[in-house]
Amino acid sequence: MTSVQINNVTKRFGDFTAVRDLTLDIPQGQFIALLGPSGCGKTTTMNMIAGLENPSEGSISFNGSDLSGMRLQDRNIGFVFQNYAIFTHLTVYKNLSYGLEVRRLARSEIDRKVRAMAGRMGISHRLGEAASRLSVNEMQKLAIGRSAIVEPRVFLLDEPLSNLDASFRAYMRAELKVLQREFGQTMIYVTHDQIEAMSLADKIAIIDQGRLMQYGAPLDVYNDPHSRFVANFVGSPRINLLDGRLEGESGRLKLLLDGGAEIALSAGAAAEFSRVGFAQAVTLGIRPQHIYLGDRRSPEDIGMRGRVEEIERVGPTRLAYLQVGQTRFLSVDSHDRLSTGEEITFYLRADKSLAFDLATGDRLGGRLH
Amino acid sequence: MTEMTAEPVLDKTRQRRRGYWSSVSLDGRKLGFWLAAPAVMMLIFIVIFPLAMQFYLSLTWWTPLDGVRWYRAYESFNIGDNYLRLLTDGALWAALGRTFLLMIVAIPAQFMLGLGLAYLFMEQFVGRKLFYSIILTPMMIVPAVVGLIFFLLFQSTGPVNDTFGLPVSFSWLTDVHRAMLSVIIADTWQWTPLMFLILLAGMLGVPRDQLTAGRLLGASNWQNFRKIILPRIKSVIAIALVLRTVECFKIFDVVFVMTKGGPGVETETISLFLYKKTFADLDWSYVAAIGLTILFSLSLIAACGMAYASMKKN
Repeated sequence: MTSVQINNVTKRFGDFTAVRDLTLDIPQGQFIALLGPSGCGKTTTMNMIAGLENPSEGSISFNGSDLSGMRLQDRNIGFVFQNYAIFTHLTVYKNLSYGLEVRRLARSEIDRKVRAMAGRMGISHRLGEAASRLSVNEMQKLAIGRSAIVEPRVFLLDEPLSNLDASFRAYMRAELKVLQREFGQTMIYVTHDQIEAMSLADKIAIIDQGRLMQYGAPLDVYNDPHSRFVANFVGSPRINLLDGRLEGESGRLKLLLDGGAEIALSAGAAAEFSRVGFAQAVTLGIRPQHIYLGDRRSPEDIGMRGRVEEIERVGPTRLAYLQVGQTRFLSVDSHDRLSTGEEITFYLRADKSLAFDLATGDRLGGRLH
Repeated sequence: MTEMTAEPVLDKTRQRRRGYWSSVSLDGRKLGFWLAAPAVMMLIFIVIFPLAMQFYLSLTWWTPLDGVRWYRAYESFNIGDNYLRLLTDGALWAALGRTFLLMIVAIPAQFMLGLGLAYLFMEQFVGRKLFYSIILTPMMIVPAVVGLIFFLLFQSTGPVNDTFGLPVSFSWLTDVHRAMLSVIIADTWQWTPLMFLILLAGMLGVPRDQLTAGRLLGASNWQNFRKIILPRIKSVIAIALVLRTVECFKIFDVVFVMTKGGPGVETETISLFLYKKTFADLDWSYVAAIGLTILFSLSLIAACGMAYASMKKN
């Protein structure tokens, strides 16, 4: 079992800074997802852990001991490439045995391990075949098995599911979770798919433009995003982000959204916001799931009246676009009872409403209640 | 009447155009034959005729000294005496032996050097493009000029002796053992770049990811080289070796300029031997017999090689 420490790591390629002052502590045996949009530096981070790139500044340690200067082949890292990097000139068997052969294990030992791993991954029947003849799904299994067979200290997976068809991806997602429990190894998983990250990881590190935006358990990140970027990136359907400004009026604090909707803030929220000053440009964040219809559930919730502009069906759920003035809210129509053009009253859950500084994207105060 | 019952559909056409030529445009096979005929004739003239003529002459005593025209060479027909003669010709076999010696030393040397250089050039380094051009230069030089360059370098008063502090009495091109070595060095200098170029092309085709994957699985660079790079460029290696073997067998210009086959016959390869037989001895029918025999043997070896390769593939 190995823990990984990334200490103030910066990586520059010429003028371009791929990773900025990244610090991440990955406890042993955990499943960590590095989540971010393409080009955010997550793969570079992964490559630095593997030793494929050296940090420009800072250090990376396993169990507290610095890795710099250690040869690539001595790090003992399981790496599953996005395109699997299967040795297509070898048989499936030889692919699995590669890591054992270079360690000069006894032939009988290699054979035993290869057969056990092939059985575990469900590719026993293809051992003698050329690896180039495997399907993409089988290649994925082979790639994982080939890395796992050498019992690596840390498992790194670079977008391993992105090439798979949808049904196998769902299966593999579950399978990865099982494998991680079986192997008990620390796993670091790079993805740009927040659903994958949310469903698999013990902890998610969200990275944007080389910076760590937030690091925490999936639900914490979802419920308590520290910035507008994180709120926007995590969660499906996407959070409503509505720009506006705070205004004081006869001792009460109001949030004026750009589209014209007005939200009067409770005394508690006002106290929170008074710290950041009046007439400040802010963004209101509210997840579609936290907008509800019908009766008010809590006196603090924010009531609004608007028109159902459009209804969109996404699988079993219906999404409703609710228009207040020029402001548009996306909500989940959980009871299937809305129809287009209808005037309705809806409520924003105050305890789930978030506010961000428009300029910096940082989270402001607590919640709107 | 029988014609009409055989192909009633073509009846009307047939009445208008009769004879062989009118049917050519309707019959795909006939048309194909006549369209291909000019090209086939050309091929026969270019390839088959010279070979056939050579075979014909090799069965005679034809030589320019007699003043007999080539098509009347049959007058000195000798029932394969030339072929019997080449079997027992010590000078011919010695020349063949020297050619093989040269090949056995020069080609592995070129291969190893080319392989090593190609491996170095898989990495990016400062000046890679410049060195790449420099390394490829020898290949572009006319072989006779390469011969001349090494002829000058290996003079006993030349720069090689100078560099190594060897006395003027230490000769390269006129020494029984060192003459062949000099030729091998010149050939290696000129043709390592070709090996390098072909092998590099093969190596650059090896997916980077696979090498990285190998390293991460604990393989050293050497293990990766043996287990991933070499197996993947097997066919490229085969092509490079075959190309160089064929070329090396034909070596002439470099040797001719550097040593003229000397001292004595120490560097006389098969091409030089044939050259001397042709122009010094004017023994043309014998040369034809040797040429055909070599062509036939090499073709046989190549065919066996290819059959073996395709057998292994299946």
